[in-house]
Amino acid sequence: MSNQYNEEELDDVVDLKSGVVGRLMRALKPYWPQMLLAIIGIASVSYLDAYYTVLNKRIIDEGIVARNLPVMIGLFRNYAIVVLAQTVGFFLMIFIIGRLGEQLRYDFRKKLFHHLQNLSLSYFSKTPLGWIMSRVTSDTEKMADLLTWGVLDTVWAVTNISFAVFFMLQLNAALAVIVIISLPIMIFVSFKFRVKIYHHYRQSRKANSKMTASLNENITGVRIVKALRREAKNLDDFKVLSTNMYQESYRAVLLSAIYLPTIQTISAISLVLILWRGGLQVASGAITIGVLQAFISYIMMILWPIQDLARVYAEMQNAIASSERVFSLLDMQPEIRNREDLLPVDSLAGDVEFEDVSFHYEDDEPVIKNLSFHIPQGQTVALVGTTGGGKTTIVNLLCRFYEPSSGVIRIAGHDYTQYPLEDIQSRIGVVLQVPHLFSGSIRDNLRYGRLDASDEEIEQAAKMAGAHDFIMNFEKGYDQDVGEGGNQLSVGQKQLVSIARALLAEPDIFVMDEATSSVDTLTEALIQKGMHQLMSGRTSFIIAHRLSTIKSADLIMVIEDGQIIERGNHKSLMRNKGHYYNLYTKQFRHDLETKYDLFADQEPDASAA
Amino acid sequence: MSKQKEPYIPLDMPRVLGSKNKLLSLWHLMRGYHFHYFVSTVFLALAAFARTGMYVFLGTFIDRMMNEGLMGPELTLSALTFGALIALQALSSFMSSWMANFTAENSTRRLRDYLFDHIQRLSYSYHSESKTGDLLERATSDVDTLRRFFAEQAIGVGRIVMIFIISFIAIARINLRLALFSIIIIPIVLAISIVFFKRLSKAYEAYQEQGAILTTDLQENLSGVRVVKAFARQDYEIEKFDKENAEKFRLGRKFNWMHALFWPLSDIICSAQTIGSNFYAATMVLNGVMTLGDFISFHGLLGWLIWPIRNLGRLIIDTSRALVSFGRISVVLQAPEEDMTAATYQPEDGIKGQICFDQVSFAYEKDYLVLDDVSFSCEAGQVVALLGSTGSGKTSLVNLLPRFYDVTSGQILLDGVNLNEYSREFLRSQIGIVEQEPFLFSCSIRDNITYGVHREVSQEEIEEAAREAAIHEVILGFKNGYDTLVGERGVTLSGGQKQRLAIARTLLINPRILILDDSTSSVDMETEVQIRAALDSLMNNRTTFIIAHRIQSIMNADLILVFDKGKIVQMGEHEVLLNQDGIYKDIYDIQARIDSALQEEIDRVESI
Ligand SMILES: Nc1ncnc2c1ncn2[C@@H]1O[C@H](COP(=O)(O)OP(=O)(O)OP(=O)(O)O)[C@@H](O)[C@H]1O
Ligand SMILES: Nc1ncnc2c1ncn2[C@@H]1O[C@H](COP(=O)(O)OP(=O)(O)OP(=O)(O)O)[C@@H](O)[C@H]1O
Ligand SMILES: [Mg+2]
Ligand SMILES: [Mg+2]
Repeated sequence: MSNQYNEEELDDVVDLKSGVVGRLMRALKPYWPQMLLAIIGIASVSYLDAYYTVLNKRIIDEGIVARNLPVMIGLFRNYAIVVLAQTVGFFLMIFIIGRLGEQLRYDFRKKLFHHLQNLSLSYFSKTPLGWIMSRVTSDTEKMADLLTWGVLDTVWAVTNISFAVFFMLQLNAALAVIVIISLPIMIFVSFKFRVKIYHHYRQSRKANSKMTASLNENITGVRIVKALRREAKNLDDFKVLSTNMYQESYRAVLLSAIYLPTIQTISAISLVLILWRGGLQVASGAITIGVLQAFISYIMMILWPIQDLARVYAEMQNAIASSERVFSLLDMQPEIRNREDLLPVDSLAGDVEFEDVSFHYEDDEPVIKNLSFHIPQGQTVALVGTTGGGKTTIVNLLCRFYEPSSGVIRIAGHDYTQYPLEDIQSRIGVVLQVPHLFSGSIRDNLRYGRLDASDEEIEQAAKMAGAHDFIMNFEKGYDQDVGEGGNQLSVGQKQLVSIARALLAEPDIFVMDEATSSVDTLTEALIQKGMHQLMSGRTSFIIAHRLSTIKSADLIMVIEDGQIIERGNHKSLMRNKGHYYNLYTKQFRHDLETKYDLFADQEPDASAA
Repeated sequence: MSKQKEPYIPLDMPRVLGSKNKLLSLWHLMRGYHFHYFVSTVFLALAAFARTGMYVFLGTFIDRMMNEGLMGPELTLSALTFGALIALQALSSFMSSWMANFTAENSTRRLRDYLFDHIQRLSYSYHSESKTGDLLERATSDVDTLRRFFAEQAIGVGRIVMIFIISFIAIARINLRLALFSIIIIPIVLAISIVFFKRLSKAYEAYQEQGAILTTDLQENLSGVRVVKAFARQDYEIEKFDKENAEKFRLGRKFNWMHALFWPLSDIICSAQTIGSNFYAATMVLNGVMTLGDFISFHGLLGWLIWPIRNLGRLIIDTSRALVSFGRISVVLQAPEEDMTAATYQPEDGIKGQICFDQVSFAYEKDYLVLDDVSFSCEAGQVVALLGSTGSGKTSLVNLLPRFYDVTSGQILLDGVNLNEYSREFLRSQIGIVEQEPFLFSCSIRDNITYGVHREVSQEEIEEAAREAAIHEVILGFKNGYDTLVGERGVTLSGGQKQRLAIARTLLINPRILILDDSTSSVDMETEVQIRAALDSLMNNRTTFIIAHRIQSIMNADLILVFDKGKIVQMGEHEVLLNQDGIYKDIYDIQARIDSALQEEIDRVESI
C-alpha cells in the first residue's frame, strides 16, 4: 500500500485529455464495421422511439377524434411494423455490442497480461499486487463499457433529444420553445449533480480499494494476526475504512436519490406551462388534442436521454481515469529489456565476470559497490557474509532480474546485456531464498523447471534433491496438492522441491541462495553428494551460512556492505585470519565455551531487560 | 475486544444461516432495517398513487376540455394540480429510494465488517486450504452484488407488485374488460422468464466462475513473478492465461447471446400487448363505450401496467444473481470460527509453563498422521529443543501449543491442566512465536515491530527490542530509519533482516512461553551469536521451544526431542543422546567432523 498508489487514485475530476480519449478510441479501430453498424442501428431505434409519439398523435387525431376506423387500423398496422423493425434492431444491437464488449475486454486483458510478463522485478517489488490486479480485472471492464454501451448511450441520447425536438418543432413551434428552454436547464442541473455524485463515488471506490487491500493483507498474514491476537485491533482499523466507504457511498446514493426527483420537478414546471398554454390553444382550436398529448409524452420521455447523458458523462470520467492508469501501465517500459543487436547463444557455459559493478535499488542507497571478480567456467563459488550484505542482490544481478547501475557483467566473454533476456534466464537455474511454489500438484511444480520433462526425469531430479522420499510418503505421491504458495508443505520440503525444480532445468549456471537453510543436516548431507556431481562442470554460485555447504567451494567471497572484503578458498582464508576466520571461529569459540560451561548464560543476567 | 459503541445492531448470523430459504436469509441480513424497508415501500405506494392519479387526472382534464372547454382560472388550477401530483410523486420516489439505499448501505457495511472479522477468525486449516483470491472475491464483489440486491431488487418486488396493482385498479375503474385484456401476456412472459431464468443464471454463473479462475491465475502469476522470471516461463504463463481468457470470452459471448435473445423477445411480447390493448381501447372509444379522456389516461397507465410485467424477468434474473452470490458468501460464513474465548480456565497469577504431551497424535488430513503418539514433558522455565528431518512435524507440534490446531488424539497438559480448558485468547497472550517464514505487513518498520503489543510502546522500548534482535543499527542505516516502509510481505528487506524484525516483534511481547521456529536460519553466524545472547536472556525462566538444525544452537537445552516421520525417536539431554546410537549422533558426527576439521585448521593457523 505504498502511498504513491493511493494518491494516484485521488485526482478527482480527470481533465479529458484528448490523448487518452483518442488512444482509447483507437482500440475500436479493428472493429469499426461493427461499431458503425451499431451506431446506425441505435440511431434508427432512437428515431423510431421519437416517432411513436407522432404515430400516437395521429391515432388520436386522425383515428379516434375523426372516428375513422380504417385509418386507425392502418396506423396501428404501421405501429406494429415499427415495433417489429425496432425489435430486430434492438436484437442486433445487443448482439453486436455485447459481443464487441467481450472482445474488447478480452483484448485489453490480453494486452495487459502480455505486457506484465515483460516488466522487470523492480516494478513488481514497488507496486502492490492488488493495484495491478484491479488494472487487469476492473479497469478493463470500465474501458470496454465506455467504448461500447457508453458510446451507444450517448448516440442514443443525443439523437433521441434531437429527433424529439425536431418533431416537436414540426408539431407546434410555440409549445416546443417551452421545452427547448427547459432542456438546457435540466441538462445543466444533471451535469452538476453528476459531478457531485461522481466525486463521492470515486471517494467510495478509493475507500473500497483500501478496504480490499486491508482484507487482502489480513488474509495473507492471518497466521501472524492470530499469533499476535490482533483481531480486535484489525477489525477496528477495518471499521474505520468500511465506515468511510459507507459514508461516501451513502452520500453518492443519497445525491442520486435527490437528483431524479429534482429534474422531474423541473420537467413538471414545463409540463404545467405546456398544459396551460396548450389547453388554451386546444380551446381556441389552434392545436389538436393529439398534439397536446404528444407534448406531454415528449416531456416525460425526454427525461431518460438526459439522465443517460449525465450518467455516461460521469462514467466516462471514471473510465478515462481507468484508461489513464491502464495506459500508464502499458507505457511502463521494462527496465530490463533486450538490446537491438542481439547475440544469439546456445549455451552460457563460460567464464562469469563482474567488472566494477555498482548497484542500487530505487532508493539510491548503494547496495553493491565497485564489485569485481572473475569466475572461470565450471567453478563453484560461495558467497558468505553478514546478513543484508548484498548476496541476494548479486544473485539478482547475475540472473539479470536487475542490471548494474554501472559496470559490466560478462558471461562467456560478452557483456550479458547483449544476450536475449529469455536465454539468460532459462540457462541459469536459480533456487531463490524465499521458496515459492504455485498451487497445484508437486509434479506440476517440478515440471515448471522443464516443461517437456518425463515423469522419470522428474523423479530423478526429486531423488537428487532428496525430495523423493517424503513425496512418496504422501498419500497421492507426486500428485499431492501443495496449497497456495506451497503452504501445505513444510518449509524444508518447499526448499527441496525448489531445488529439484531448478535441477530439472539443467542449467549452465547454477545458483542457490540459501537453498538448504531450513533443511536438516542429514538430508543436506545426503543431497550434497549429488550436488557436487551436478556442479562439477557447471559454474555454480552458492550462498549459505553453514560451513558444511561452503567449505569445499573453489572460491569463497566474503561480502559485506556490498563489497568483497575477502576472497580465497577455505584454507587460505583460514590462514588469513581475517573476517572469514572470525566469522566461523567466533561462533566456534562461543560454542566451545558454552559446551564446557553448560547453562552458564542461563544465570540471571543483570544487563538483560 | 473493542467496547466502542457499534453504529448498527449486530447481525443474527445463526438465523441468517439457519433459514431454509435463501430469500429469508437475505431478509434476516437486513435485520434492524426492516422498518426502513417498510417506510420505503409505503412511499413507493404513494409515488405509484400520485402517478396513477396524474394519468387519471389527465383523462378528466381532456374530457372536460373537449366537452366544456376549460378556460381561465380553472385551466390554471388544473395545470397546477397536475404539477403538484408530479411533485408529490417525485418527493415520494425520493423518500422511497433514500430509505431503500439507507437499508442497503447499512446492511452491506455490517456484512462487510462481519465478514472481515469472520475471515480472520476462521481456523488455520481453513486458511491453508483456501485461496486468497477466492476469499477476496467473495468478500468484495459478491457482497457488492448483495448491496445492489438490497438497494434495487429487494425493494423491486414491492415496487413491481405495488405499481401493478395500483395501475390495474385504475384501469379496471375505467374499464374492467380492458384491464383484464391487458394482462393476458403475463403467463407468456412468466413462461419465457422461467425458461430463460435457468439458462441465463447458469450462463452467468459459468461466466463469473471463469472470471474467478482468471483472477486466481493472475494472482498466482503475480505473486510467483520471481519464479516465472527465474525459469523464463513467460511464454508458458501467457499461453495459460490466454487459454483461460479465451474461455471467458467464449462464456461471455454465450451469456450475451442469451441476453440478446431474451430482451427483444420479452420486449416484442410486451409491445404486442401494448398495441393490442391500445387498439382495443381505441375501438371502444369509437364505439362510444369509453371517452377520449379515458383513452388518454389508459394510454399512460398501460405503460405502467406493462412495466412491472416487463421487469419481472429482470427482477428474477437479478435476484438469482444475488442468490448465487449469497450462496458463495454463506459457504464462507458457515465455516466455523475458532472459538477464542470458549474455555475459561485462567490461573490467577498467569501460567508457569510446565508442559506435558501425553500420547499426542495429529493429522491435517484424515489418516495421514503428522505427529504419531508423541509423549514428553518439561518443567516450567526449561528449554526444549526439537531436531529432526524436514517435514517430520516440528512446526506442526509447536502449532498445537497456541491451539492453532487441536490434537487429533491424546492430550497436552499445561501446568497440569488440559490445553483445551484454556481459551485460545488467553493461550495466545502467553505464547510468543517467531515463525519459520516471517510475515511482515506493508507498513513502517516501527509498526511491524509493535504489531503484537496491545499498548502504547515508547521509542526506547522499540529500539531496545531491535537492538536485542541485532537489527537496530541496520534500521538506522535506512534513509527513513524506523519509518521506512516495508514492501508487501517485506520484499524490500533481506532474508536475515526479515527474520530479525520478527524476533524483535516477539521480544517486545514478553511472552511466558517462547517458540523459536528455525528463526535464525537466514542469519549469519556472527549475527546469530549476537541474537543468541539476547535470546538466552529472554529464555530465562521461560519455557522455550527451539527448532533448529545445528547442534550448537540446541545443545544447551534441557530436553532435546529428535523427530523422524512424526515420531519422537530419541529424547534426552545432549550428553545422553551423544552416547546413543541414532540420528542425533549421526547429525552430531557430521557437524563435528566439520568442526574438528575447523579446529585443526585453527590450531594450525594459531601455531604458525
Ligand atoms: N527490492 C529492494 N528494494 C530496496 N532495497 C532492497 C531490496 N532488496 C534488498 N534491499 C536492501 O538491500 C540490502 C542487501 O540485501 P540482500 O537481500 O542482497 O542481502 P543478503 O546479503 O542477501 O542478506 P541475507 O543474508 O539476509 O539474505 C539490504 O539492506 C536490503 O534492505
Ligand atoms: N497446512 C498443512 N496441510 C496439510 N499438510 C501439512 C500442512 N502443513 C504441513 N503439512 C505436512 O505435515 C508434515 C509436517 O510438516 P511440518 O511443517 O510440521 O514439518 P517440519 O518438521 O516443521 O519441517 P521443516 O523442518 O521443513 O520446517 C509435512 O509432511 C507437511 O507436508
Ligand atoms: Mg539474501
Ligand atoms: Mg517447520
